[in-house]
Amino acid sequence: MQAFAPGIHPRSEALVQATRDLDRGRTTAEAVDEQFARDLDDLVRVQQEAGLDLLADGMLRWQDLFRPLLEATEVLEPGPLTRFLDTNSFYRAPTATSGEPRLREPLDERYVAPLPGPRIVTLPSPYALAHGTGLPAKVVATEVLKPQLDALEADLVVLSEPFLAREGAGELGELRTALEALAGGPPLALQVTFGDARELLEHGLGELPVEGIGVDFYATHATDVPQGFGKLLLAGVVDARGSALEEPQEIAEFVSRLHDRGVERIALVPNGDLQYVSASIAREKLARLGAARTARPKESAA
Amino acid sequence: MTDVTFETREIGSLAKPPWRVKAFAGRPIEEDDVAEAERWGRTLELDDRDELVETLRRGELGKEDLRLIDDWSSRYGLALLERAGLDVVYDGEQRRTEMYDHVIRHARGFEQRGTVRSFDNKYYSKAACVEEPSIDGPYDVDEYRFLAARTDRRLKVPFTGPYTLVDWSYDEHYGRHGALGATAEQRADARRRFLLDVAERVVRPNAAAVVEAGCDWIQIDEPALTTRPDEVPLGVEAFNKSVEGIPAARQSLHVCFSDYSLLFPHVLDLDDCFELQLEFANRDSHELGTDGAGRPGYEPLFLFAEHEDAPSVGLGVLDIHTNFVEPAELVRDRIVYAAELLGPERISVNPDCGLRTRSWDVAYEKLANMVEGTRLAEEALNRAHAGSR
Repeated sequence: MQAFAPGIHPRSEALVQATRDLDRGRTTAEAVDEQFARDLDDLVRVQQEAGLDLLADGMLRWQDLFRPLLEATEVLEPGPLTRFLDTNSFYRAPTATSGEPRLREPLDERYVAPLPGPRIVTLPSPYALAHGTGLPAKVVATEVLKPQLDALEADLVVLSEPFLAREGAGELGELRTALEALAGGPPLALQVTFGDARELLEHGLGELPVEGIGVDFYATHATDVPQGFGKLLLAGVVDARGSALEEPQEIAEFVSRLHDRGVERIALVPNGDLQYVSASIAREKLARLGAARTARPKESAA
Repeated sequence: MTDVTFETREIGSLAKPPWRVKAFAGRPIEEDDVAEAERWGRTLELDDRDELVETLRRGELGKEDLRLIDDWSSRYGLALLERAGLDVVYDGEQRRTEMYDHVIRHARGFEQRGTVRSFDNKYYSKAACVEEPSIDGPYDVDEYRFLAARTDRRLKVPFTGPYTLVDWSYDEHYGRHGALGATAEQRADARRRFLLDVAERVVRPNAAAVVEAGCDWIQIDEPALTTRPDEVPLGVEAFNKSVEGIPAARQSLHVCFSDYSLLFPHVLDLDDCFELQLEFANRDSHELGTDGAGRPGYEPLFLFAEHEDAPSVGLGVLDIHTNFVEPAELVRDRIVYAAELLGPERISVNPDCGLRTRSWDVAYEKLANMVEGTRLAEEALNRAHAGSR
């Protein structure tokens, strides 16, 4: 069983202060860059100490899930400030002007940082990136995400999908077509974040052309996973929106329920971006995520 | 038919003056800050402000100095709203840090859990509920009494609502055990218990004490009410629990920047809520006109037209997110449009929300124009009614 932590991670209190100071003209961009580097070093160390199988860079510079790609793409633009799902956080919703989108150049190391070991990269799913723009997800996949994927070296790319669970299974067809356009690059997983995936699972989420499927088990019941689920299951077992710290043994008990349903390949992940808790809580959750890999359920513990 | 009149009021917060911010942050107060206090003191005719000015110039500020500055900040806020001509006033929440933090720091059962990003480089502090919440005692009574002793206008006291407090907090108590893999029913039950406890044990005792002290109007602020559409009925239940048994003459609910269609029909179940104060100007055009095509921001009023038994409308006519100062004629047309749609008896006038993100100069100009525009609307409607007799 693997464990890793895709998505946007929280900034440390020092980086929070540095970015605030930058906005108020009280510090320099260089000083903030240095703090970004310290935050990244710390995040890598925490993941290594936790024993996570794949490292993440935490997307610390990403202002939201879409912004760097929107700023690097012709035709796509950051739009109005929009509430992110049912959180008290906001993002710039993607908008499109007329014409075909085109990624001018892949994201550089500021947004996909080099890491000392096997790694994951998180990108928005094509459906999420196209959401609200009026563009077909397949066009966004082909013209924006595919060239980005081709430039990546990653052991797994997690496509984060926050909207589909709320939009319904009727959109699965559009997503499938878009994912087919992404074939041939690094291994892909589609993670349905912060939402009940029951309906999607009932209508073929597990059949999408990706290596792995991510499910939020703080919104989805274990019995909603089809018997004999055959893909890698990115099991969202750490609540990225809750400050309560999970017990590794509790996670292990839950995982045994998934095994009982015939799920053989499981990766433990948070159920979405950890940026919805503070950095100190996120670090502790990462440690527990790692510990859960080897924890045993209560009933089988000696 | 009696003449049409509309009541004018604020919604909540004003910005805090720089001399107050710096004093409480322990930063040096500069001569510009003192000059600002002098300027507004003159404008607001606070003739005994020498006490404040001398304190600000003193440099080292002790606990008693901060208390005095707090009082003066409250007086300035009250005076600004009076000077603008509002019928119903408060103090722009000068003594409150922020609508969420103000309650959390007075409540038991919550612990701070650090900083979370709101967007970009903007962040907020978030607390967790770690045990059954409660308060040691009411914490807004002194604030109310201070103001009641200094104005002859009606006061309306804002209280952050239970739904918003719960939605903006982590839950480490009610839903802690068995959260992983819980059923939807289990999650909903934990949420409901959390919400009703906050309503009953935090919001209600504080609001009841303020009413006991003489306040006759309590406003429950719920900016988060429609965040989870399926929980709007729960938010309504929590409002009712918050005001249950409180003998206030008026109880109202403020919601903003939301999809108001989600409120219906649930708001029909609000107990003794005489008014919903809503934001509209933010979504409206700046063009003059009193027909529907010219007033796109006020389209949600049709929801009220369809539900005659819905509470009255506190009509937001000032966009609080822009320095654009709405001309009185624009305010007039917004009110006239709403009054012709719903009937003037169902309309009162306010800004969209608190004006805390605007400077005092902009906030004052906006509010003064709001009052002038209200008078213009009254004249227009009374003229029209007289003509039709």
